Amino acid sequence: MSPLSSPQGTLAALLRGVAQWLAGWGRTVHLAALLSVLALSPSSYRADSRRTLARHLYLGTAQALPWFTLLSLLIAIVVIRIVLVTSQSYGLSQYALEMVVRVLVLELIPLAAAMFAALRCTIPMATEVATLRSGGGWDALAAQGRDPMRAEVLPRAVAGSFCALMLAAVSCVITLVVAYLSVYGFTGAGFAAYTHTVGRVFSPAVSLIFTLKIVLLGLSVALMPIASVLDAVPRRRAHTSAELQGLVRMLVLMVIIEAASLVGNYA
Amino acid sequence: MDKEPNNLEAKAALLVGLFVALLAATVLYILYARGSFEDTQRLVLLADDSEGVRVGMDVTFSGFPIGRVRRIELAADGAARILVDVPVKDAKWLRQSSVFTLSRSLVGGATLKAYSGVLTDPPLPDGAERRVLVGDATAELPRLVSEVRELVGNLTRLTAADSSLALSLSNVRTITERATGPRGAGGLLMNESDAKQVSAALQRVNTLLARIDGMAARADVQVLGPQGLVSEGKAGVAQLNALLADARQTLKKVDALLVEAQGVAGNVRGATNGLDALRGEVDATVRKVEQLVDEVNRKWPFQRDTELKLR
Repeated sequence: MSPLSSPQGTLAALLRGVAQWLAGWGRTVHLAALLSVLALSPSSYRADSRRTLARHLYLGTAQALPWFTLLSLLIAIVVIRIVLVTSQSYGLSQYALEMVVRVLVLELIPLAAAMFAALRCTIPMATEVATLRSGGGWDALAAQGRDPMRAEVLPRAVAGSFCALMLAAVSCVITLVVAYLSVYGFTGAGFAAYTHTVGRVFSPAVSLIFTLKIVLLGLSVALMPIASVLDAVPRRRAHTSAELQGLVRMLVLMVIIEAASLVGNYA
Repeated sequence: MDKEPNNLEAKAALLVGLFVALLAATVLYILYARGSFEDTQRLVLLADDSEGVRVGMDVTFSGFPIGRVRRIELAADGAARILVDVPVKDAKWLRQSSVFTLSRSLVGGATLKAYSGVLTDPPLPDGAERRVLVGDATAELPRLVSEVRELVGNLTRLTAADSSLALSLSNVRTITERATGPRGAGGLLMNESDAKQVSAALQRVNTLLARIDGMAARADVQVLGPQGLVSEGKAGVAQLNALLADARQTLKKVDALLVEAQGVAGNVRGATNGLDALRGEVDATVRKVEQLVDEVNRKWPFQRDTELKLR
């Protein structure tokens, strides 16, 4: 009988797991704070760093933007059509536009943008960082006197956040336009009524929660994968890969953020 | 590593610029949609109960939103004060005679509506306070149920076997049975002895009527018959007419006499004028005689000493 099969051993293992889990979140928060400080310090944006940042920013966003725009356009058309037809069949068409704006713009599109940014931009970037570490590039940079965090991690984190924010902004605007065209068609006659509905939805509280949600989702998808791969030393004994662990953590965080926004908006 | 595109920094700056532009446009649009760039005037609606009203809901006029609830607060008297911002461009639809309603339907939220019957009335001033009329479909239900229950109770009491209505109906049946009896409705109103007296009185009344009928026939003969009052009256009127004709002739003769008398009077008036002239002449002669006498008196031996001597 192994020690772990006894109740005491199971409890000890459970406590150890919880402690590791908490320690992992602690390191993630520490890394997020470190990167935030680096991102807010002007010395991080010198000429050479700026070029690296511009490269990651452009390559990360420009690759994801067209596809996600097309995807969000299709999703918006389908969902808006479903909502309009259903509401008309129940005689509730006056609520259709508000529902479309609330469901799509406030809830689905930011979540989808964050997921797409994670899949197309931040997870590959985290893999690059992991490769850099395992390939010795990390130590080489340190040997050159350059801070690997500032030189390699910060541009990727900023680019990942920007990618999520950009995708969310573009897709929200596209969804608003598609919603107008779906309800009123190619005419300007409904602009006043549409604007009034949008204004009614975006109350100050809802706008604040919406902004916070997009920013927090952007930060989470940018930071969590990179934090997981940087947490590689404690994870050597773990059964799962760092990338998969980072993905799970990122998803948990996104769900928490989304739930908090729902509570803030509708509770 | 991928082949690096040219002008990376410029393209990245373009992306950032696009993001900033999108962000700014969205913020400006939402501010515009929230009415942040519009001049508004305040309207205060007072209600006993603000249930169903929420901040941000519309006030509609003819189905169009013309205002938005900004705040709900409690007044000092416990009433709910609903503060509404109305854009100045839409305030023209609100007049001093406007009526505001808060209706809560069974399905959907509450709605605030404005009605302006007379659009030529003076416009509603800024900060005006108006009572809102509450039309609550669900609030009416308990009262309706209570009244229906009361109504059913009343009906039950009315239709009970010992109720007043049942007794009244029984009495009505007794009355109708007596009315359809041998003495008819008379038996309904009086007893048997009274009915006999009434019958005797009716016979006497019939006899009296027959006598009155005979009297009327005789009076007819006396008044309208050949020797009746009317015929004699006619003859009297004819005689009176003849008398009047004689009188008219007599009066004509009197008129002629009067004309002649007028002629005589005229002659007398002319003679009177001649007498006046004669009298004048007589007066002149007398005055001359008097003068002559005076002259004679002044002469001797008729002279008289008229001088008065004072000693």
